[in-house]
Amino acid sequence: MKLFMIFSMLITLPIQLSTVNYNYSYYGEVIHSAPGMNFATYFNGNTAGTNFGSPEDIVVYDDQIYMIDSSLNALIIINDEFKRESDHTTFPLTPEYIEKLSNEGVTDFSDLTLLSPYGVEVKESGIYIADSGNYRVVKLNHDYEVVDVFNEVEDATFDEISFEPRKITVDGSERMYVVARNVYEGIIELDSDGSFNRFTGVNPVSLNPLEIFQRSIMTEEQLAQLQLYLPTEYTNVVMSDKNFIYATSKPSEENAENIIQLINPKGVDVLKRNGYHPPMGDIHYIEGMNNYVIDGPSSLVDIAYTDHGIFTVLDQKRSRLFTYDSEGNLLYINGDEGAQSDKFTEGVALAYLGDDLLVLDRKSRTVIVYQLTEFGDKVNTAIMHHTLGEFEKAAELWEEVLVLNTNYEVAYNGIGKFYLREGEYKKAIEYFNLGHDRYYYSRAYKEYRNDIIKSNFGYIVGGIVLISGVLIGLKIRSTYKKGGSILYED
Amino acid sequence: MKTKLKSIWFDFIKFPKYMMLHPFDGFDEFKRYKKGKISVALIFISLYAFFRIFTYQNEAFLINERNPLMLNSLQEIFSVILLLGLFTVGNWSVTTLMEGKGNFKEIVMVTGYALFPLIIIGYPGVVLSNFLTLEEMAFYQLLMGIAYGLTAWMLFMGILNIHQYGLGKTIIAFILTVVAMAVMMFFGLLFFDLIQQFIEFIASIYEELNLRY
Repeated sequence: MKLFMIFSMLITLPIQLSTVNYNYSYYGEVIHSAPGMNFATYFNGNTAGTNFGSPEDIVVYDDQIYMIDSSLNALIIINDEFKRESDHTTFPLTPEYIEKLSNEGVTDFSDLTLLSPYGVEVKESGIYIADSGNYRVVKLNHDYEVVDVFNEVEDATFDEISFEPRKITVDGSERMYVVARNVYEGIIELDSDGSFNRFTGVNPVSLNPLEIFQRSIMTEEQLAQLQLYLPTEYTNVVMSDKNFIYATSKPSEENAENIIQLINPKGVDVLKRNGYHPPMGDIHYIEGMNNYVIDGPSSLVDIAYTDHGIFTVLDQKRSRLFTYDSEGNLLYINGDEGAQSDKFTEGVALAYLGDDLLVLDRKSRTVIVYQLTEFGDKVNTAIMHHTLGEFEKAAELWEEVLVLNTNYEVAYNGIGKFYLREGEYKKAIEYFNLGHDRYYYSRAYKEYRNDIIKSNFGYIVGGIVLISGVLIGLKIRSTYKKGGSILYED
Repeated sequence: MKTKLKSIWFDFIKFPKYMMLHPFDGFDEFKRYKKGKISVALIFISLYAFFRIFTYQNEAFLINERNPLMLNSLQEIFSVILLLGLFTVGNWSVTTLMEGKGNFKEIVMVTGYALFPLIIIGYPGVVLSNFLTLEEMAFYQLLMGIAYGLTAWMLFMGILNIHQYGLGKTIIAFILTVVAMAVMMFFGLLFFDLIQQFIEFIASIYEELNLRY
């Protein structure tokens, strides 16, 4: 009996250990979902054949993983088999840069070192390191030689505070976008030669009329005692291949709905929020002070994108990964907190290596690699077909997705769109009803109604004529019964 | 049979319509010649309660944001009873002090009759909404707006007439009614809380004694 108990416990062990994957339904309920990604492998300093001190940021460029370490002050390069390629702590200057410096009258041409760097970006034009401790941005070429150093930003903001870059990204024309500490004006845009351009993605603080009125009657002392209204503070920026910036920011006091932004070159947030809920990580959370549970909205620290507008954000607070498509639909949620090797506790950075997702855990100094499950792969492929306009292939895949996860409401819309294109409006209506897509439901319904009216036009007109004829006849009859006449009489 | 049908037609359609379109004459007949019936008013109120459930369930998918699984018929019915009960009691207590000529029965009847446009427009409107597209939903919203507007109009004119108030005094009476409703809600919650604590107290004493002996 005892043995039987132990065995049955062992059988249920995987269920006890596994985590419940969830998603949000249209009505905001938490519903079960198939996992979109699961643990594939992990690597840390030991398995990669090097040493990680306090890794802060990872970037994937050309199948190489670039990692920056703030305690070893090193740039570590790891190949796609997760083995060490090279470590760099000192960076020699290029002859051009030496020449430039000597023209400016500098005589010290020793190699550069980093001091607690927090961000790295790798593009075709070079490697950019946000060297926070030295208050500068270092630009290297692909041979790890210093091409340029940017440490001065000519803006009034930096008269009072020092320029301390945390995260950096670079667009196609080599403009740098820097998130700096204690800067609330937005993302700093630097030209390719390091001169200050502007602040982009500025979030204006909006006060409601009552607050404006309150502030207008307050004295100076009262105003000083009020909590400072600060615009959103960005936490990370990633440049997409179309030169749009994916940015994450800290949630502000009352608005957590714009913590993910897609900033266009004009500086305007153009992220589509057409999903059931705005992309903001967890949509339900406890508010208020409580020491026993994690409260407040998700605190997103990094964002990574893959093909066809699919992007993933990393919630450091609850150690979760949220994947959205380009329309803002929440595709799947995964990752959970823990000390096991397939879990992470303090995620700081996120990067896609092909279809695999790398999550950097600062606390355990490990990179966890997630791979798409069958379900996740089908969802992504269906979205790919959908963006390419191959609706039939997409619909087939969505059907398969529904077999794997019946709760998946987004899939019904995909199938509905296919039927709408095929002209099977009745079926399309059914699917849009299940997927809660009002706009397309309305379109399909309009066509469906037109079809019915067209095919039954004779009956409808006949019916109207008949009913009105009967009514007129009855009226005439009752008029005559009362002794009147329908003929015109004086 | 025919006269019965005719009297139903008169009570439920013709007379309320007349009151809506000719408020002064209509409510005068309503008050002076006792043409209004409490049974009609109660049926209108129950039809309104049913209308809320009907809307919850059958309003067009395109504008119905409600989760069908969360429908609670009893809750809908009780919320109607609570709302109308609060209004009638509140209005009665206010107008008695303000020298209103109407009695409680008349206030209940006016409230019931005021729901007439909402019922007569609302039911066909909700059915119609199922045959509209997203762009055409504006018509449905207009229709419902008219229904609610007419209900407010009938309620206002009814209260004005049965109490024989002027315009300004009616408005003041309405504002004070809202205040009275809020006060009643406050006291209700207070009593609810106190009674709950009292019952808890007795229950715990009973439990203690039970455990001891």
